Amino acid sequence: MRVDPTYISNLVNSLDQAQANEEQLTAELSSGVSIISIGQNPVAAGENVLLLNQIQQDDSFTQSSSLVTGQLQVADSTLGSVVSQLTQAISLATSANNGTMNASNVESVANQISGILDEVQSLANSSYQGQYIFGGAQTGTTPFSTSTNTSPSVTTYNGDQDVNYIHTPNGQKIQLNVPGSQIFLGAGPNSVFGALNALVADYSTGTVNTAQAVSDTQALGTALNFVSQQRVTIDNSITQLTAASNAVTSTQTQLTAAQSNLMQADVGQVSTQLSLAATQQTALEDVISQLDQSSNSLFSRMPA
Amino acid sequence: MGTINSAFSIISRALEADQAALSVVANNVANANTPGYTQEIANWEENQPLTVGGISYGQGVSETGAMSLRDSVLVARLDQQNQLASASGTRLTALNSLEALFPPDSGSSSATAGDIGNDLTTFFGSFASLEANPGNISLREEVLSSATTLAGDISNAAASMNAQSAGLGQEAAGVTSQVNSLSTAIAQLNHQIQTSSPAADAGTLEDQRNEDISQLSQLIGINQVKTENNGLSITTTSGQLLVAEGTSFQLSSGVVSGATHFFLGNSDVTAGLAAGGGQLGGYLTAATVDIPSAMAALDQLAYGVSTSVNALNNSGTDLNGVSGTAASPLNVFSEPTQVAGAAAQMSVVMTDPSQIAAAGAGQNAGDNSNAVAMANLANESLFQPVATTSFSLTQNLSSTTPVSGTVTGSALVYDSLGTSYNATVTYTNLGSNSWGYSISLPDALTADTGVAGQVSYNFGAGETVNPGTNLTISGATTGGTATIVAPTITPGEAVGSAGPPPTGYVASLDSALTAAGITGVTVSNTGGVLTIAGATATSGSVIADPVASAATTGTLTFNASGALVSPASDVSGIAFSGLGDGAASLNLTWNLIGSGGASSITQTAAASAQTAQSQNGSAGLSSGQTPTDFYSSFVSTLGATVAGVQAENTAENASVSQLQIQNNALSSVNLNDEASAMATLQTSYQAASQVFNMLNVIITSALNLGVQTAVS
Repeated sequence: MRVDPTYISNLVNSLDQAQANEEQLTAELSSGVSIISIGQNPVAAGENVLLLNQIQQDDSFTQSSSLVTGQLQVADSTLGSVVSQLTQAISLATSANNGTMNASNVESVANQISGILDEVQSLANSSYQGQYIFGGAQTGTTPFSTSTNTSPSVTTYNGDQDVNYIHTPNGQKIQLNVPGSQIFLGAGPNSVFGALNALVADYSTGTVNTAQAVSDTQALGTALNFVSQQRVTIDNSITQLTAASNAVTSTQTQLTAAQSNLMQADVGQVSTQLSLAATQQTALEDVISQLDQSSNSLFSRMPA
Repeated sequence: MGTINSAFSIISRALEADQAALSVVANNVANANTPGYTQEIANWEENQPLTVGGISYGQGVSETGAMSLRDSVLVARLDQQNQLASASGTRLTALNSLEALFPPDSGSSSATAGDIGNDLTTFFGSFASLEANPGNISLREEVLSSATTLAGDISNAAASMNAQSAGLGQEAAGVTSQVNSLSTAIAQLNHQIQTSSPAADAGTLEDQRNEDISQLSQLIGINQVKTENNGLSITTTSGQLLVAEGTSFQLSSGVVSGATHFFLGNSDVTAGLAAGGGQLGGYLTAATVDIPSAMAALDQLAYGVSTSVNALNNSGTDLNGVSGTAASPLNVFSEPTQVAGAAAQMSVVMTDPSQIAAAGAGQNAGDNSNAVAMANLANESLFQPVATTSFSLTQNLSSTTPVSGTVTGSALVYDSLGTSYNATVTYTNLGSNSWGYSISLPDALTADTGVAGQVSYNFGAGETVNPGTNLTISGATTGGTATIVAPTITPGEAVGSAGPPPTGYVASLDSALTAAGITGVTVSNTGGVLTIAGATATSGSVIADPVASAATTGTLTFNASGALVSPASDVSGIAFSGLGDGAASLNLTWNLIGSGGASSITQTAAASAQTAQSQNGSAGLSSGQTPTDFYSSFVSTLGATVAGVQAENTAENASVSQLQIQNNALSSVNLNDEASAMATLQTSYQAASQVFNMLNVIITSALNLGVQTAVS
């Protein structure tokens, strides 16, 4: 059988393929990405979408976690101040209850406890980035206000009972707030404002009903313990958030490594392939050049 | 006996034959690079010998014409393979443009423009950020910004796909003029060949016809049929005539329902051409299969995201304390009315970030429960509408065969978030050819166990506890562990409204726990969320009834013949609101059309299958994919299609190359062969010329009778 006399066109096709291969490898080198189009590796392209989704979800949680940790730390710090104030109030009340103070001193204690009451109310009305942190979901309304029309005065909660949670990428729910009423207006002896207002009323006349004052002081002690218990909830949330954030960061690192492994071009490997493709192209060009010269050989060697 | 004259005759014919053969070689060399030219060889034939006195005397040879070196079967096979390679090549080009709309994201800090996968994650992630601070305007603006990017990228991709589809239609239409030009030329060549060379190879005419057929094969899929007198008929692969010997039939194109269609005479041959091959087949396959398939997936994604997000946003409370209503919806995206076209029309209609309903229904603005739900959409299945749902009932309700008591029928219906409900119709025999019916929608609430040590159930606004509840709770007692079955209460008691102190259902649970001696388990109801904390175990589920409209009850009346008389038309306006998963109200139309002449509602179900029945619910996408799963699957599927067509095209081109090599080996002009043949013929010609000279000397000598100088 005869040989195809148009072998050069076949070689040119091979040259085209070598050229296309070089272009592909050059694109991979310049972009640093091994998969330029989804048709190149469909499975990896689909997997890449899922990996990036998980990485970005983790990244988003890390950022949110940082934001809410700040809020929780403000809440914790605020409750720490409340505990200090209440400890001071208990100390004042205890001294007033021992029967050694005259009326003037008792009234002074009343004023001091009233000042503490104002301070605690101010702390209970703390905000973070413009949002009240102890108002439940009523973040735009001052949570606590006190009416002095009655004796003892009455502190009212204007917020609600809403509790927000943040969800970690693995489905864990972490509590973000404790409604102010739960901290400062607990039932019975757990009410901080109830105990403080009662103590102010106890001492404001200068005459102490010792039994009542001792009872109210004990109630304030109970309320202090209750505040500390609620503070534990917030501390737990901070701990959980830190742990979750660390875990997510670790996962994110692994996922990023997997994604890089999937998508990024191996520069050494691609460079070698590019070098081989260039050599192939040169060889093909040489062959074509040689064959092109020899294709005219018989006619060119015939006498004119 | 031979004479000198006969020798002259033989040698002069040899000279003519050599000359003619040299002309064939010269023609081959001249046409070596002519497309479609087939190598010719000289055809030698022995002249009839002369017989004198019983003795034969040879008369030499003659050249009787050139013969083309052609293998018709091989040429036809090459044309067929060209059709396939051309189709896959054209389709591949279109697919490469399509896949360029969905570039893989490298994962670098700057996301690839138009990366819908990244947009989806960023959009749902913006709700996750909003969880941390639901009142923050800048986070709310981030939600709208990412929604705008997502909607823009999806609608831009859809617009590009539509443009590509239209462009393919125009390119396909442009092929028709080339097809018509070639089919006309082939018909003319048929006529010339049948006239000039009915019984033999027509040489260059045949070359021209083969070249035209080869070009036609690049354009559309064809079949060739040899006819008498060396004629040829050509049909499309689906059998429509393009050329019948000397007659050609013109292909025309036109736009039908927005798509380019092709006609031969009055016949629409589009489907046949799409499957046939050639450029046209490639264009049509890309325009009618590949792009619509990708568009359908993108439409589903856009529809699912838009409807799901809108439904949830309308079910929550925005920063101003407002919830969406039918009259004043709080839609983030323009609400699509159907899946088709949802991608192209996707856009963000919300301009005020305070309208994002991060808070749950009935909650104050600082609540984040709805933002949590919207962020969770990233991990839930997307939805598409369900066209019809039929209630089925096996009992016969006709007056002629009444049954006593109550019977029920049921149908699976879906809300806008894809949750399924077994809607139930209860029929009560009222006598006098009448049956009362009542449609209910038990809502089985799913327990939320995200917080360790507690179980909660999110009742929708106004939802009431169903007496059929089967929840059991186990908790510690002073003597060990006890389990209670949660009490049933009077239907109609609202769970979603009361707060502490415990009332209603919560109070009933408290009492039951106390009675069982279970301590440490607290039951609370905050904002419609029933929370059971401290239980060592719970099982079963809480069943609730959403708020139903008045249209859920009525009477069916039959006449004496057993045919349904009333109602005379569909029962519409059946609605259930306050669904536990926060979905939009579920509206149903109960289709009774077709029951008028029937004796039972059983036959209504059959009628429903033929008659549109409206339901605004939806069902999960196949295999319940999340938005990102769906997009990932879409990318993989499209990529696999591209890779498949690429592989197909590579294989077909390799096959074409092999066939081309075989054909070239037979039919192409090899200049070395021609040079060799020319040298041989020249030598032959020179030899004949020498013989002619010698004969000339001999005859001169004979005429001069040996005298050298008389005649020279």
